[in-house]
Amino acid sequence: MRIPLYLAVAQWALLLALGLLVVTAYRQLARVLGQAGTPAELGPPVGSRPSQIVYQPIPVPAGEPPASDRAEPTGLAQLEAMLAAAADAVRVFTPGHGQPALVAFVDPTCPSCEQLVVTLSAAQAAGELAGLRVLLLTSDPPAYLQISPAFQAAGLEIGRALDRGDLESYRPSATPLLVAIDAGGVVTKAGTALRAAEVRAFSQSCLVPAPRPEALLPVTT
Amino acid sequence: MPVAVLGAKALLAVMLLVAGGAKLADPDSFAVSVRLFLPRRHRSGSPSEAAGLLTSQASARRIAWAVALAELGLGGASLAAPASWPLNLAVLAAACCFAAVSGIGFAFHRGRSCRCFGALSGRKFDLAGLARAGAVAALAGGAAVPVTPAAVALTPAGHGLLLAGSAFIAFIAFTAARSLAVSRDALPGMVS
Repeated sequence: MRIPLYLAVAQWALLLALGLLVVTAYRQLARVLGQAGTPAELGPPVGSRPSQIVYQPIPVPAGEPPASDRAEPTGLAQLEAMLAAAADAVRVFTPGHGQPALVAFVDPTCPSCEQLVVTLSAAQAAGELAGLRVLLLTSDPPAYLQISPAFQAAGLEIGRALDRGDLESYRPSATPLLVAIDAGGVVTKAGTALRAAEVRAFSQSCLVPAPRPEALLPVTT
Repeated sequence: MPVAVLGAKALLAVMLLVAGGAKLADPDSFAVSVRLFLPRRHRSGSPSEAAGLLTSQASARRIAWAVALAELGLGGASLAAPASWPLNLAVLAAACCFAAVSGIGFAFHRGRSCRCFGALSGRKFDLAGLARAGAVAALAGGAAVPVTPAAVALTPAGHGLLLAGSAFIAFIAFTAARSLAVSRDALPGMVS
C-alpha cells in the first residue's frame, strides 16, 4: 500500500503543531508561575498617564434608592434581573477629560478591599469626594458582590474590566489599590489606602491643580 | 516543490485549527479584540453616554464565536480535503483577511492584544504581528499552487484520519488555552 505524499506531510504537520503546543503551554505556564513567585510593582508611577479602561458596569442590588413605590423583586432575583439588564452595557473610563478621578482596584473576596470600600463610601457620603469620579474595579465575577455587604452598600460605581490589557498601565498586581488621577489624566498618587486620612490624601492629591511648567523653571537674576 | 506546497497547505490548516480551538476556550476575551474593529455608534466623553460608545458586547461575542468556528471548520476541511480548489482559495482569502486586520490593528490599535491564539499567546498589534500576518498570507499563496492529483489522492480512511487528527489538535489547543486562562485568573491582583 502506497501512502499519498500529502498524508505523510500532514502527519508531520500535526506532529509539529502538537510539539509547538506543548512547548508554548509550558512556556506560558512558566511565565505565569514565575510572575506569581516574584513580587510585582504595585500601582502606576506618579506622573504617568494610564490608559483608558473598557469595563462592564455591575449594578448593586442594595444601597440604591427605589425608583418608585411599586413592588420589585428582591435579593437574588433582583440581582439577576439587574445583571441581565446590564449584561450588554459597556462603559469606558478615560483618565482626564477635565475631571479628577479615584480608581480603586478592589475585590469583594478581599477583606482589606472591603475596608477601603467602606472608607470610600463614608467619604462619599460626607461629601469629601465631591468633584471626583470614583470607580471601583473588581476582577471577581459580578455575583460575588453578594458576599460582601460593604460592596452592596457602597453606592459607588462598580465595574469589571473587560480587557486585562487595559489594566497593565495601572499595575494592579495586588488588591486593594487606589489610584488618584488628576483632571489632566496624570497619576498623582497610587498605592494602598484603608483609612479615611489616607483616602483624603489621595483625593486631595488629584484635586490640587498641577503646577504650570513655567512655575517649575529656576529663577535667575 | 510538491512537498513545500503540501507542507504549506497542511501547516496553514493546522494553524487555523489551533487558532480556532484556542479562541473557543475563551471567546469573551477574543470578543474584546473583535470589538475594536466594530463600528462605534456614538462618541461621547460622559460616562453615562459611554455605554453607546461601542457596539454591544453580545454582537462582538457572536462574531468571536463565528470567527473561531469558521477557523475550525476551514482548518479541518482544508486538512482533510487538500484537493479541493475552493478550500485553497478560502484559506488564501482568510489569510488575506488576517493580514488586513493586522494592518488595521497596527494602524489604529497598536499595542493592544490581538488574542489571535487566545490565551496561548500574548501577541499584540505591532510590526512583528504585521510581518507574521504577511508571512501567513504568502504561505497561503504558496499553498494555493496546484499539485499533481496523485499527491493529494486520499482514500476515505485517509480523509477520516485527517479529520480525527484535526479534532484532536483543536481539542488540545482548546484545553491548553483554557488551562492557561484559568491559571492567570487564579493569580492575586488583576494583571498577570
